[in-house]
Amino acid sequence: MISGKYLLQRLCYSGASFIVCLTITFFLLHLMPGDYISNYLLSLSNTLPKEIVDQFREQFGLNLPLTQQYVLYLGNILHGQWGYSYAYGQPVLSMIFGKLCWSLVLLVPATILGILIGTVIGAWSGWKSGGKKDFAVFNVMIVIRAIPEFWWAIMAVMIFAFYLQWFPLGGYASISVLSTGLDFFDVLHHALLPIILMTFFIATGNYYVMRNSMIAVIGEDYITTARAKGLDERTILWRHALKNALLPMVTITTFQCAGIIMGNIFIETVFSWPGIGYLTTQALTNRDLPLLEGIFLLDSLITIGAMLVADILSSAIDPRIRMGTDE
Amino acid sequence: MSRKIILRVSIAILGIFIAIALAAPLLAPAGPYAITGKPLQAPDADHLFGTNEVGQDIFAQLVYGARITLLFGFCSALLAVVISTSVGIIIGYYGGIVDEIVCRAIDVVMPIPMFVLLIVLTTFFSPGVLQVSLLMGLLGSVHGIRIMRSQVLSVARTSFVEGAKAIGASDFHVMFRHILPNVMPLVMVKFVTTSQHMLVMGVGLSFIGMWDTSTVDWGTMIQNAYSGGGVALGLWWWILPPGIAVVGISLALALIGYSFEEKFNPRVGVNRI
Repeated sequence: MISGKYLLQRLCYSGASFIVCLTITFFLLHLMPGDYISNYLLSLSNTLPKEIVDQFREQFGLNLPLTQQYVLYLGNILHGQWGYSYAYGQPVLSMIFGKLCWSLVLLVPATILGILIGTVIGAWSGWKSGGKKDFAVFNVMIVIRAIPEFWWAIMAVMIFAFYLQWFPLGGYASISVLSTGLDFFDVLHHALLPIILMTFFIATGNYYVMRNSMIAVIGEDYITTARAKGLDERTILWRHALKNALLPMVTITTFQCAGIIMGNIFIETVFSWPGIGYLTTQALTNRDLPLLEGIFLLDSLITIGAMLVADILSSAIDPRIRMGTDE
Repeated sequence: MSRKIILRVSIAILGIFIAIALAAPLLAPAGPYAITGKPLQAPDADHLFGTNEVGQDIFAQLVYGARITLLFGFCSALLAVVISTSVGIIIGYYGGIVDEIVCRAIDVVMPIPMFVLLIVLTTFFSPGVLQVSLLMGLLGSVHGIRIMRSQVLSVARTSFVEGAKAIGASDFHVMFRHILPNVMPLVMVKFVTTSQHMLVMGVGLSFIGMWDTSTVDWGTMIQNAYSGGGVALGLWWWILPPGIAVVGISLALALIGYSFEEKFNPRVGVNRI
């Protein structure tokens, strides 16, 4: 089992990572010319009496020294007050959470399917490594992987939505939604193409890891021993090789769950899907720094959390994996 | 056998792209901004790939865009590889407290999502292409340090390094003349694969609107064509050339990378007992 010391150590590192992220966002906000008052109430701050502006400053703690403001900022972030978007004037956190569910509509099925497909093909390809079939599959995967995601998406829209007209060109629902309300099949019709594309990508990513892991396992002594014992190939594959080869997949799978925001920024942008990725693109276009910082903080929280979970899981499964012993 | 042919073809494609980027003023004397025709003209003899929504020649934009796209990819990859190699060699060679500090710092920095951080930083500083590529190289080097370090560790304990130290070679000499040449294959592989990643990422970033619209690179061209309705109106010549160019160079780099990797790291390839 995992020791308490190891767990504590990991937690400290994760905490430190998040503090680094917070420090970056804090200083960026403060390096911006002007402060909240002059940025937000630009039209008002010139006409308002100085006393009121000062009162605002006091109320929001803008007159405090930087260190106290920093502590205040940390407290606010922990309390879920992540600031307001410049372009929309809404609280950043609620905006992000509003988009999160739409991202999940694409992500959950795509991640599950992608991991399953990638692992199966990768395991098979690694088991057959060196053969003609493996060589062919491997090359196809290189080609798929080398072509940028957004280009696949644009091509898919061009072929399946424009020329064949099987799918809509983008968006998440038809215009009829205004009169009839959201319809499951309508949303599914819009979501299908992006989900297929994302599955495709997640599967190719998993394929490599699984194939490499399988190849490494095949070279291990216990596989040779199993062969020497006279076990049949199928038993070796299922009972000996696959089990051990799956270990790195734990880490990868956790990571993929962490790729919640950036994993699909291109696909969401191409399909105008109203998730976090599309929100990021819009925030970038509007140069909406508070919103982008909010997205960055949420993404770092998710990623740091996922890395923590991955580390703990893999060290619980394989006690040889510990920090600082990577020599 | 077929691997060799693939490698040669890929290197040839890469060479052609670099030549095109270098010879841009010769190939398109009017420059990427000149309005040389009617808007949205289909390809003909005057305009090899037609024109865009304001009548700029797409071929000229493609040729000049190659400069920015390639510059971005190679600059950031070069910086990332130089940083990760030098830091990796230093901490791997000296070990001890320096190694410990750097490794723990990497542990802290690793989980920070670099891609979003890059977007945030760019939004804040709104820098030029070169600055962003250097920033990306800096952020991208963190991951490589560990890989280089472990490679250096395996070299630093070999007998020829011990021997060089024993005859009184300076640390610098050992690192530069004995360790570096031995990790060079990995550095090459890293450089090629990192350039591919960075190049694709750079095009992706400009596709989501990283630069202002006056910058002409392949990503902005794709973005203009896509948001301008190039797909929805079936204006294929507007959107296909930059996309095919990106796919071509990315494929070429990826295949070169894999060929190198297979050559230098046999474990990736055939390993069946």
